Amino acid sequence: MDKPIRILAPHSFREQLSRRAFLRAGTATAGLAIVAAACGNSGSVGSDTTAPASSGGGDWTELEGKATGEWSRKIAKSSGALAMYTWGDYNDPAIVGALAESTLGVTMKVDYYASNEDLITKLSASNGQSGFDIVVPTGPYVPQMIEKGLLQKLNKDLLPNIVNLDANYVGQPWDPNDEYVVCKDWGSAGFLYNTKKITRDLATWADFLDACENEASGNCSVIDAAWDFCGPYFWSQGKSANTTDAADLDAAEKYLVDTLGQHIKAFDSYPSTKIAEGAYSIAVAWTGDARQAYSRIADAGGNPEDWKWVLPGPKTQIFMDTYAIPVGAPNPEAAHAWINWELVPEISIQDLSYHGYHTGMKNMEQLLSELAPDLEKPDMIFFSDEQVKTMEAQEMNEALDRLVDILNKTKAKAGA
Amino acid sequence: MTGTVATGRRRRLRGPRFALALPSIIWYALFFVVPIAYIVYYSFGTKDTSLLLPVDLTRLTTANYSQVFDATFFTVFKGTLRISVIATALCVLIGLPVAYYATFKVSERWRAVILALVVVPSFTSFLIRTVAWRIPLAPNGSLSKFLMDLGWVGENGIQVLETSLAVQIAVVYNYLGFMILPLFVALDRIDVRMREASKDLGAGRIATFTGVTLPLAGPGIVAGVLLTFIPMCGDYVAATVLGGAKGNMIGALIASQFGGAQNWPLGSAMAVLMIVAVLLTLVVGAAVVWLLPRVFGLLAPVAERVRRGIHERAMSDGAKGGGRTSGVREPERILLAAWTVLVLVFLFVPIILVFVHSFNRGQSFTIWSGHFSTKWWGELFDSAVAWAVLVRGALVIAGALVVRAALRRFTSLPPRAVNWIGPVGFSAAVMLNWAVTDRYRDVFEFSGVGDAIRNSFIAAFGATVIAVVIGGLAGVALARRPGAWTKVFMGVLFLILVTPEIMDAIALATWFPRVADLPLVGTLFTDGWGPFNGGINKLWVGQSLYASAVVTLIVRARLDGLDEALEEAAADLGATPARTFRQITLPLISSALVAGGLLSFTLCLDNAVISTLISEAGSTTFPVALLGATRSTIKPFWGVGAMILFVVTMASLWFVAVVLRRSGSSSSDIAATLTGGS
Repeated sequence: MDKPIRILAPHSFREQLSRRAFLRAGTATAGLAIVAAACGNSGSVGSDTTAPASSGGGDWTELEGKATGEWSRKIAKSSGALAMYTWGDYNDPAIVGALAESTLGVTMKVDYYASNEDLITKLSASNGQSGFDIVVPTGPYVPQMIEKGLLQKLNKDLLPNIVNLDANYVGQPWDPNDEYVVCKDWGSAGFLYNTKKITRDLATWADFLDACENEASGNCSVIDAAWDFCGPYFWSQGKSANTTDAADLDAAEKYLVDTLGQHIKAFDSYPSTKIAEGAYSIAVAWTGDARQAYSRIADAGGNPEDWKWVLPGPKTQIFMDTYAIPVGAPNPEAAHAWINWELVPEISIQDLSYHGYHTGMKNMEQLLSELAPDLEKPDMIFFSDEQVKTMEAQEMNEALDRLVDILNKTKAKAGA
Repeated sequence: MTGTVATGRRRRLRGPRFALALPSIIWYALFFVVPIAYIVYYSFGTKDTSLLLPVDLTRLTTANYSQVFDATFFTVFKGTLRISVIATALCVLIGLPVAYYATFKVSERWRAVILALVVVPSFTSFLIRTVAWRIPLAPNGSLSKFLMDLGWVGENGIQVLETSLAVQIAVVYNYLGFMILPLFVALDRIDVRMREASKDLGAGRIATFTGVTLPLAGPGIVAGVLLTFIPMCGDYVAATVLGGAKGNMIGALIASQFGGAQNWPLGSAMAVLMIVAVLLTLVVGAAVVWLLPRVFGLLAPVAERVRRGIHERAMSDGAKGGGRTSGVREPERILLAAWTVLVLVFLFVPIILVFVHSFNRGQSFTIWSGHFSTKWWGELFDSAVAWAVLVRGALVIAGALVVRAALRRFTSLPPRAVNWIGPVGFSAAVMLNWAVTDRYRDVFEFSGVGDAIRNSFIAAFGATVIAVVIGGLAGVALARRPGAWTKVFMGVLFLILVTPEIMDAIALATWFPRVADLPLVGTLFTDGWGPFNGGINKLWVGQSLYASAVVTLIVRARLDGLDEALEEAAADLGATPARTFRQITLPLISSALVAGGLLSFTLCLDNAVISTLISEAGSTTFPVALLGATRSTIKPFWGVGAMILFVVTMASLWFVAVVLRRSGSSSSDIAATLTGGS
């Protein structure tokens, strides 16, 4: 794969650069940000998936689109209700609302969960009768769900637009042959802090933890999911968040429960609204939610400039969420039609502009310049090669139970 | 005893004494006793996430219990009990003056107004009202800025959200109504002559209140405490929405064990210990209630002397000062009135905020963008269809009213016959719109909220029907066919009433997958029947448990107060048991059934905890959908949805009230039975 080089605007030119030009410079890196680097992708399985026989023949409609170049825009009309179980605020309401109805003929219902475990509990406790047609698990949880028989195989014939995905985002380790899931989007996590309350410069997870213990004590928020919660500690120690070493885990428990716990104000996976309400002075957030925080702050009459976004070092997380169809989905045909429609570049970019996560389309740079030249805060959506190299993806291992336990104990401690 | 040989024989033919309670017995066995027993069983299991249901029951252990007693979890336990006990006490302290004022200090008319104002807030989704507390309490909010300008709070603004204080405020707010109503009913039943007698015997106002009024209000206080304390212990909505890390409640902790932590055994152990803790607290509370009068009894001679002293001084003052007593009473009255107004304002502030914020132009419900806009209303509704529905409904109802007026004026039909036309016109309007707009589906542009509202009504209505039928039958059986079975049955009923909702929720959520393989029942809950999918059926079960127990008690209380002679006379006159039931018993309990049904309906409509854990895609109710939305940003259209729900609920209640009035129940009767008083 040829890697475009990140174009850094020379310092003297910066003043002359319009916002749009700056954006181009920023998004020049879009195409190369690779999950593969972090996830140990084996190769270019993606190219094998390029030719789903469009056997459906007359069922397909070709959509019109603004983006130039080779794009598949086949959609299949469907009907009935389509129930999606997903993370909070994870699709443009227009797409899951009126647009799905007018384009595909399906009426969408969306329910939300707060963690992959919640999703798995809901699906396994309902014996394939959950009534959901589409779910959005995070990559590493996919094998477990396949093993428990919670996901059904995708019918590739119904997903012709999968060719629009960049080869980097198919054939992931959790589903090497792309049998069960399709990339929805990927992102990272960092923290936001109020520079009026915390006046020093924070750059690393160690800085974050230090601020929580000091000036932000009782005013910090962390993500309410075990691995995402414990990760910052391990990274601050220069360790992997996937460690299974007993001594590391003991040290993590000791620090998080006994030292950090008392300083935490909330376990909040989506802090953007509450940041705008003024509830926190520092908060860990997934990148998309952090980006939305800026518009919320402006909405609330606050000054977005007061808030600084940090993608912390030395390491931080990377995740990919996927579309999957659960076993027993009442309307699998419509589910395929919808997932396939989401892979149409214009729809994908519209959704991206809303939720703020890279949707894995190929030629992202060109797409953005043609479809969303005014995209806000692109630096919170697209990451450079160097940045991605510092990102670590979750691995499912025997330590997870322990991390869950640590989160639980920290919660109990924080409430004391 | 009027029983004869003949009636004895007839009774034997009726089958076992608990025959009428049989539907309840089966229902509770299947959906309460066994699922709860399973939770107890799970609590001895070990966690194994590789299994589909993540509990390994082959290795039984008590380790989960020792883990709960681990200091960290225990703190959450203590915190929850503290919040609940304080909130219950606050509800009594805040509610008692209001109930007292409404009962003794105002006219009949104002009493009805105050009661209505206390009840009305509970008809808006209680979840959205809880969320609405974020608005005034936000550190960046207008109230906070105002207080900062005054210098009353520090530069960080109001620091209440994400603390246990926020949870404390919210639970007091949410349950205050459930305290005021039973208090009112209890006070209302006090014979005014008792109070007068007390005063005639020389007792002062305070002595009358503590010596006569308060003890007589005792049952109401107990009922109020039960209605508030138990749900508070299991409350997880307030903690989730407002509590942050500091306001964690045990309900939220238990729920997270079944979701995020996937540790069912630990969650089960917590749930079992929680119900033990609730029962223990109730026992302690009962002991205190039992002890207090006796302690006071011991102190009586002392108190008597003090009282007499005060009284004598008052008498001599009175002799000197003339008509001073009324002068003293006036401030008391004004104080009580002011307090009542304050409490009512407290009850209404969040609702007004919900209404205002549904017109917020911004992206978030809680953050006021500074601009009024109807855009979220427009986003929710297909405006052409919505207006057509309103106009159509108004026309039909207006037509009915015109017909009624015409009949009144130009015919000599009795008013009772004519008055029915109003409600009939209302129903006709509802049905017509139902038919024209594909069951109201076309009204909504964004179908999620519309479906959620409709599902809420379908679920609450079905659960109410179940509760009224099985609860009514069981109530009759309890009152008329007592026997050895009564004690066991009452025990189960008591357990249902005191089991925190979260426990029922997890019990049912883990029970349904096990039922799925049973031949008939399993199909009902997986495939559903007719237009009702399995999810709706599950909601009916989950929501009907508590509701049916309430109906049972109301019906039993109603019949207890009535002589059985009527039924026996009917039987002696040769009526079959079925006919006696239909023509005598049923009319006797009809007002109790209606009241129980209304109470059930409002409880079910608001049910969030059970419904969230057992709901499925096709059966998401409004509270479930909203609770899901609270996990990220709540869009202002949820406020719009809540207002719609409010209007529709008020309309249905108005409809029921009109029908009731036509059938002759007085409004205070309705209020009394509504609150479970007997």
